[in-house]
Amino acid sequence: MSTSPFAALGLPERPDLDDEQVRAAWRAIAAATHPDRPDGGDLARYTAASAAYAELRTGWGRSEAYADLAARAALDGEPDTAPLPAIPAEAHPPSGAPPWHPLAAAWQLPARIRRGRPRRLLLRAVIAAILSLAVLRLIPGTPAAPADITGLVTWFALTGRKDLAPRA
Amino acid sequence: MSVWTWLKFTACLWLIRRAVRLAWWLLLAAAAVAAWPLTLVTAAGYTAAWLRGWPPVRLYRAAAWALPMTVAWLTALDASMPGWLAARTPGRAWAVGWDHLDAAGLARAFASLAPVAVPAGLALAGLVWAWRNYAITAGLGGITASAPITFDARQWKRQVRTAQGLTDAPGAVPLTGRGGSIPVGGTIRAIGRRWHPVFTLPHTACARHMVIVGATGSGKTNLMIRLWAGWFTAAARQARAGHGHRPLLIVLDCKGGRDARVKAERTRRLLYGAGARRVAIWPDEAQLSLWNLPPRELAVLLYQMIDTGTGAAAYYADVLQAVLTLAVMAPCGPPLSTAAFLDRLDAKWLQHAWAGGRHPGQAERARAAARHLPDIQLRYATLLDRLGPALDGLGALADADAWYCILEGTREPSVAEAQAMALTELAAHAATARDGEPRAMLLAADDYSAVSGRVPVSNLYERGRSLGIGVQVSAQSWQGLGATEDERYRIAATADGGLFVLSTPHPEPLAALAGTRRVLATTRKLIGASWGDEGTTRERRACVADPDIIRRLQVGQACYIHRGAATFVQVARPKPSPLTLLPPPSAPEPPAWVPGPRHEPAPAPWPAPAGLEDIFGPGATR
Repeated sequence: MSTSPFAALGLPERPDLDDEQVRAAWRAIAAATHPDRPDGGDLARYTAASAAYAELRTGWGRSEAYADLAARAALDGEPDTAPLPAIPAEAHPPSGAPPWHPLAAAWQLPARIRRGRPRRLLLRAVIAAILSLAVLRLIPGTPAAPADITGLVTWFALTGRKDLAPRA
Repeated sequence: MSVWTWLKFTACLWLIRRAVRLAWWLLLAAAAVAAWPLTLVTAAGYTAAWLRGWPPVRLYRAAAWALPMTVAWLTALDASMPGWLAARTPGRAWAVGWDHLDAAGLARAFASLAPVAVPAGLALAGLVWAWRNYAITAGLGGITASAPITFDARQWKRQVRTAQGLTDAPGAVPLTGRGGSIPVGGTIRAIGRRWHPVFTLPHTACARHMVIVGATGSGKTNLMIRLWAGWFTAAARQARAGHGHRPLLIVLDCKGGRDARVKAERTRRLLYGAGARRVAIWPDEAQLSLWNLPPRELAVLLYQMIDTGTGAAAYYADVLQAVLTLAVMAPCGPPLSTAAFLDRLDAKWLQHAWAGGRHPGQAERARAAARHLPDIQLRYATLLDRLGPALDGLGALADADAWYCILEGTREPSVAEAQAMALTELAAHAATARDGEPRAMLLAADDYSAVSGRVPVSNLYERGRSLGIGVQVSAQSWQGLGATEDERYRIAATADGGLFVLSTPHPEPLAALAGTRRVLATTRKLIGASWGDEGTTRERRACVADPDIIRRLQVGQACYIHRGAATFVQVARPKPSPLTLLPPPSAPEPPAWVPGPRHEPAPAPWPAPAGLEDIFGPGATR
């Protein structure tokens, strides 16, 4: 699956295409490239378009294909999915992600922010910061000021964590 | 009593009732205005819950999470004003707020009172929202008689929207949660179960037996891939911590075709992200060896792979079984390849293998079956040829962390059925083999009904249960689970890992397994053409998992039924953490293992022809 099925049908890479648009694109390519045409058509293009149409003809298929493309784009290139060589049983290292460690978690934080939703996280941080400044300006030196800031920090931590990319 | 007196009495009663009600509302309004910071937070919490379809518990938890600010405030108060004097501060702040009724003054008063007003207001909002829900569902609230229906439909939409928003957030639904749980997606609605924003399953649920039913395009694949990846990650983590065995995932994609390859690619990408070292796709890229099975199991499997029939054909079936036993359990050992097995279906070979006088019974049987052997050989040659080389390779299930096996159940059902039997047998062997490393296994069969002609799902289940393998079976409909109603119920009712029901046209039998719950139903008296304010309330039973809701589920929505509870969930698309797919630190490449060629055991050398040499040879007694 190295080429985009959207490209094979000459369609924009959008998840909100409807059945008719996909069908129309497929019919246009099929009419121009069918091998039964007097000029012999273009078998390679016809085959690629047929395969792409099979993949994109349902809404579910389109969303899957789109999500695959988005996942690839997010990875900055093709993920390596080639099968790894078999390893003898005695040489098997334990598979799975490494266990959680606070230092590793702190080290990963910038990458988690970058690969999550940084803008939304920034917006939350800005709101928390503005409200904290407002509290400090309105009631400076009162016992409620640190309490309000504690509440804002708690809110930021609780709501902002879902904007981070998941841990490795 | 005259009519006029009665009328006056009735009017008075009505007026008194109205006055009491008005006084109550006025008192409430006065209290709300007086405690305006609390009212503000309560109103905000209530509105948020109403707009986002939250259950009251969401507000209670928010109130609990706001308590740290109260603690911080009390600590700061104690530090600045020791003793009970500090307790007067909120009152003073409130009183001062009334003296400065401008925006800055109100903001100052609110900020001063927030440490108390926020948790109390959120808790109060939770109580008010709980009462509203109760009143509407019990028929006490709402202007029209259809208010409960409208309210429920509107809340469902909002709950779906909120759950979708949560599943879109990158970090809300990772592949694994705390304590080895598997996050599935955002909770839409929980009935009979504690509500959590993200619905999670313990990974042990996948290690038991689970049923997934959903029509094509309902999001079944996403759900299954998420469960596989979650189970794999959690089990691998447990193994790393020394609390279990290394996981081995075996997926049987029983429909095959192009879609299966796409799914296999996605699964592999995700499992690599989850830390798998080798994910094999069978038969496209990897092969297994049927001949690794112990001789007795191999003989039984080879017998079951051929259609034998009943009645008069039973005679032939017995001959077939006898020949297979002779060929596979020969004294020289079992065959190691298809070619070697076919070579054994030969009268000369069998008679020679069992010759020597130590097995007179078997030798006699080999002689008796000689005339059937060409037919049997022909049948097996055809079958094994159709099965292809993928079961005649050198690989074993233990060589990989996960196997994605694609069976062409739609294109070649009979071949796929035989392959499914063989793969199930290999999985059973891997689970019970004493010579290899023990593994935590999950056998997932997607659309198993496509190949369940010879091995019913119930058989697969019971086999898995006896071997300690988790079995996950998916079907497109209730009918796809089994051939008979009895079998379907046996499969669904024994799914102790739970049932996932996605959009499907006939969910009633599955929904019935969730049972019923007690609800209040209020009827209203009809006065003329409108509903009056009188009526009756009675208790009745309602489905825990409403089949009508299940029937209307959108793509990606599922209902999880387990132990009399139902949770509607918006399944999140499984994505590996982008951090896992960053370039790994350079490590020495493990040496590729190339299995050596296997040599077919040969029977003892042919005996020399009996002659005078034997009698008068050297050493013979004269």
